Amino acid sequence: MSKTRISRRGLLGAAGAASAVSLFAGPWQHNRVWAQGAAKPIRIGITADASGQYANSGASDKRGMMMAIAEANERGGVLGRKVEFVHIDTETTAATGSRVAERMISREQCGFLVGAVHSGVANAISQVAQKYGVVYINTNSSSPTEAGQNCHRVKFVFDGNGTNFAKAAVKSAIERFGPDWMLLTNDYVWGHDTAAATKTLLKEYGGKVMEEVLIPQGTRDFTSALLKVQQHKPGVVSAAIGGDDQKAMRQQVVQLKMGDKPAWINSQQDWDDVYGLPIETLFGVFGTTWYYRLDLPGVADFVKRYQTMYPETAMRSPGNVFYNGYMSIRELLGAVERAGTTNNIAVIKALEGHKIAAKDRMQHFDATIDAQTHQVQQTIYLATANKAPKEKDDIFEVLSQARAEDVRDTDSAKLCKLEPYEQTPTFDA
Amino acid sequence: MIDLLPHIINGLTLGLLFALIALGFTLIVGVMEVINLAHGSLFAIGAYFALTVIAGSWFAGTPFGAWWLSLPLGLRYVLALAIGPALAGLAGMLLELCLRPTYGKPPLYGLLLTFGAALVIEELIRLVWGTGEQNLALPQAINGAFLLNGMIFSTYRFFAAGFSIAAIVAVWLFLERTSAGAVIKAGAHDSEMVRALGYDLARLRLVVFGFGAALAGLAGVVMVPIWGLRPHVGVDIVIPAFLIIVIGGVGSFWGAVIAALLVGLVIGITGVYAAAWSTMSMYLLLIAILGFRSRGLLGRKSALEN
Repeated sequence: MSKTRISRRGLLGAAGAASAVSLFAGPWQHNRVWAQGAAKPIRIGITADASGQYANSGASDKRGMMMAIAEANERGGVLGRKVEFVHIDTETTAATGSRVAERMISREQCGFLVGAVHSGVANAISQVAQKYGVVYINTNSSSPTEAGQNCHRVKFVFDGNGTNFAKAAVKSAIERFGPDWMLLTNDYVWGHDTAAATKTLLKEYGGKVMEEVLIPQGTRDFTSALLKVQQHKPGVVSAAIGGDDQKAMRQQVVQLKMGDKPAWINSQQDWDDVYGLPIETLFGVFGTTWYYRLDLPGVADFVKRYQTMYPETAMRSPGNVFYNGYMSIRELLGAVERAGTTNNIAVIKALEGHKIAAKDRMQHFDATIDAQTHQVQQTIYLATANKAPKEKDDIFEVLSQARAEDVRDTDSAKLCKLEPYEQTPTFDA
Repeated sequence: MIDLLPHIINGLTLGLLFALIALGFTLIVGVMEVINLAHGSLFAIGAYFALTVIAGSWFAGTPFGAWWLSLPLGLRYVLALAIGPALAGLAGMLLELCLRPTYGKPPLYGLLLTFGAALVIEELIRLVWGTGEQNLALPQAINGAFLLNGMIFSTYRFFAAGFSIAAIVAVWLFLERTSAGAVIKAGAHDSEMVRALGYDLARLRLVVFGFGAALAGLAGVVMVPIWGLRPHVGVDIVIPAFLIIVIGGVGSFWGAVIAALLVGLVIGITGVYAAAWSTMSMYLLLIAILGFRSRGLLGRKSALEN
């Protein structure tokens, strides 16, 4: 038995010492202030998929972020601090997204998280980020829920969403191709939300849904669904099918020569999903937020910078996924500079409501980071296959551009309830 | 009321394609008793080599490349159908050599090794052919669509299904009508007895693995014009292939074929009434069949059942 006695004086002394230490080290977030001194680099966690359904898009997303980080460092960093990044594969899997976010924050000491293509992954990351108060930018996942019921104070959504694209397309498609629509919907959150937005608009403009066919994620054979389309004979098929599923579907639609009739509306067409494929696989009308041949100031130089930085990349022209990755980091670092600090709440406030000039975003109209939903309200383009390409990669023909205010997702604004600032942990990154 | 006939036809063609995928898998499992998780990667390798043969991309810009591309697409496609599987077979043989230290050890060793091989092969594919989506060009004669009973069907899908039937029959004839096939079948039944009869078991395993891998490669060449080609395309087929050989009875040739047709039909018909359940339906089929018959449709009785 130990002979050590705990005296009252000793106990009080130990308690005092413990209190002093805790004041210094404090709760976790203050500890991070101490750990990340002013001279330390700003550390960004890139949460991009390197495997799974969105591996290809994830690689572009990451390349965009890396170019923005490289350019920031060439300018001397941000607030005199170098910017560095850590990348861990989120595997296009929500559970992995959570694990990666936890690790990046608690072990890799990342002050910001950026990246996602899959809505389920983005949602999982943002829940972890909100718990720690870490600013997270969802670069490329376009489910309306991301800026709707799954919005968070720390999360900012940089892609256009299914509702934005549907608003840009549905009304004119009803007028042109008739009110009878069939929906092919990927059976996960983005697919459901996009289809819900389309259904709401169909109701509003006098269209009707003949049938909605739910397509399980990972489907490689679409013949059954395409036979149903033939049996129903709709005027329009609205497809909310993403990633590899969409690639397989496109291939099979072309084989069945169904690309021209019925009319196809694809919510958003990520550049990475069609790059290098024959032009006939690019049937129908689809949405995008950016195209590398937009006749706007800065676009050509941006493309050149991409080609210089990535000379070995098979994708010789950047697409919307790369663009969103790049813009996310650039706006995040811009917000840090405007705030003059890496304090998360100050950075959030610098991002909220921030207006971005059209020329800075290389889009047709000005954009705003919606203070209510944290989604970037931006120009939405409708495009189709380019039958008269000027060069090999010129596969899109941009049909129209809609102003942000005309395609704003008002439903998300009703559903989004951002956590109050005081309920968001604060720290300096 | 939806006409079910087109969906039944669709289910049967899908089943035939599944059968082609499962053939090599069941052969390897039957003879080697190794669950080859790299089967999908060998499928992908066959398809990627076929892509190289058809597009001639490795020789682009050279006089040979120009001459190669001047050959008719049909001829390049036929060559791809031979070269892609052959090279996948060679890759399979290489994998079998790596597997040798695991023989006689718990099955987990072989399982882990083939899983690791699948990851390595996928990364190699990314390095050699890139990460993006690729497209296998098809000759005009088998491309396009045709009308049947008022419905449009893909010509290539029917070509692929017909090709699968031919491959199934050819493999069956090889196993049933040739002495090499008899040795392989005997190896699947009792490999020690085959060794006792003086056959080189190591060589038999090498040949069977190579043959199974070549069949995977052949399935790859045939399937990717429908499913598309990307580095992880092999992942898409491992689970259906495994599920089919379990339903059919591990090691049973006709069991795998019947199971593949059943899976295709179930997916096709579920797609009509409850599309969201179409992928799930094959797992439900597995549960239903194994619930009543644990060794699968045509699997051998285990010693415990006697």
